[in-house]
Amino acid sequence: MHPEKQKHDFEPKIIAFVCTWCTYAGADLAGTSRMQYPSNVRVLKFPCTGRIDPVFILKAFQQGADGVLVSGCHPGDCHYIAGNFHARRRFATFRKLLEFVGVDLQRLQFSWVSAAEGGKWVEMVTDLTERVRGMGPMVEFKELAMEEQWSGAINTEELKEAYEAI
Amino acid sequence: MTMIDTTSYTLISEAIKTEAKRILTDGTVTAVVGYAAARRKGSVQPIVITTPEDADKLLFSKGAVNNLAVYLTKAKKEIPKTGRIGIVVKGCDLKALVGLMGESQLKRENLYLIGIPCSGVLGSIIQPDTELTEDTIAPKCLECDVHMPTGCDFIPQGAPITPELEKKYAAEIARLEALTPAERWSYWKEQFSKCIKCYACRQVCPFCFCEQCLCDRNKPQMVESTPRPAGNFAWHVIRAMHLAGRCAGCAECERVCPMDIPLNLLNRKMAKELKELYDHEAGLEINEKGPLSMFNEKDDQSFIK
Ligand code: SF4
Ligand code: SF4
Ligand code: FES
Repeated sequence: MHPEKQKHDFEPKIIAFVCTWCTYAGADLAGTSRMQYPSNVRVLKFPCTGRIDPVFILKAFQQGADGVLVSGCHPGDCHYIAGNFHARRRFATFRKLLEFVGVDLQRLQFSWVSAAEGGKWVEMVTDLTERVRGMGPMVEFKELAMEEQWSGAINTEELKEAYEAI
Repeated sequence: MTMIDTTSYTLISEAIKTEAKRILTDGTVTAVVGYAAARRKGSVQPIVITTPEDADKLLFSKGAVNNLAVYLTKAKKEIPKTGRIGIVVKGCDLKALVGLMGESQLKRENLYLIGIPCSGVLGSIIQPDTELTEDTIAPKCLECDVHMPTGCDFIPQGAPITPELEKKYAAEIARLEALTPAERWSYWKEQFSKCIKCYACRQVCPFCFCEQCLCDRNKPQMVESTPRPAGNFAWHVIRAMHLAGRCAGCAECERVCPMDIPLNLLNRKMAKELKELYDHEAGLEINEKGPLSMFNEKDDQSFIK
């Protein structure tokens, strides 16, 4: 029996970058235990959080993600011993940079989900999906991607004339 | 307006000439990278000299803005073959060299460092003959903590004169931090949209020494290479990220940018964050690992659920 599915005006796209050893197994567990969670999430599997380059997060937003989840093994449990410790520093730094250029950090969630934490996976995905749903679509990056722009504004008579002449 | 006294630069120039002549004559070094007069009055250009006779061309003045360290990264492979190289460094340039040594790009024993007791240089060399004042000085000099470089092989006599002036980067960072995310977004969007992707900033940076830049790769393409707003945004974010914890703050990227994008603002912001997060400052000592290539088990993780 499936619970009644609620209709929403806006279905956010959530991209989840997960490590294969913990969070992916956790998500698998949630599946095999038949737990329900929003189907808004698209899961991308990596060997380790240490392989998740900040540029992937940026790319996800640019390609239309409304929210991004990054998740891996708990500290001390990384299959490669220290991948997640390195990732933790990198993400802490990257968050600060995104914040400084004006990205709303509410759209970006980091978590540790182990292979046994199917329930925590469900909670993470549900939380982020609902939060992003409340915030609405991530328009900033989409607008940016649509934009064609001349370097600098065409703000002088001379430039306007040259522009018209093309 | 506060004027900055640069009369000591005349004596410093003399000392550089004498020292360069000495080390080239006795064979300590095979070449010296320094500054020489350029064509316009007051302007200065980088020069590499290999004979003692040329030592007279060397000088130091308020126009000596270039970070010469870049000539060693881009030419680093030649250094062991050509022997030891002398280089004239200001404190900020030395920071870059220290960072490069940490990243195993250069070896201390291959360098002969001529340090400059520096009171500051011009922010722009468009008018090289202007006086050095609180308005014309490079903003990086206002925040400099290495007017007197340490650990060099030779430092000319002279004490840098450095009046306390307003720290422009710190003030601007504080102003931006106080804005809302949407306001910051539109500020940077406008700034980044100006970029023409000439990559002058990358070319001049001593730390951008990757043989192939991530931003030039097209399989997969992580950063759009055309100068459109989306690709520009990604380029600037990735550039700042890849230099976080490494950037020496020489502000060369900002100086060479033909579109006047405040690049060093991002660099300074990242430096500030890494200082707060991991108590790290780039360029003070030779560290094998930067803040983002090491970790502490107790690092903050309050942002991770
Ligand atoms: S990023 Fe800019 S300020 Fe930092 S080292 Fe490179 S050129 Fe200098
Ligand atoms: S120097 Fe300026 S215009 Fe050129 S690529 Fe760098 S930021 Fe863009
Ligand atoms: S293997 Fe899971 S975080 Fe490294």
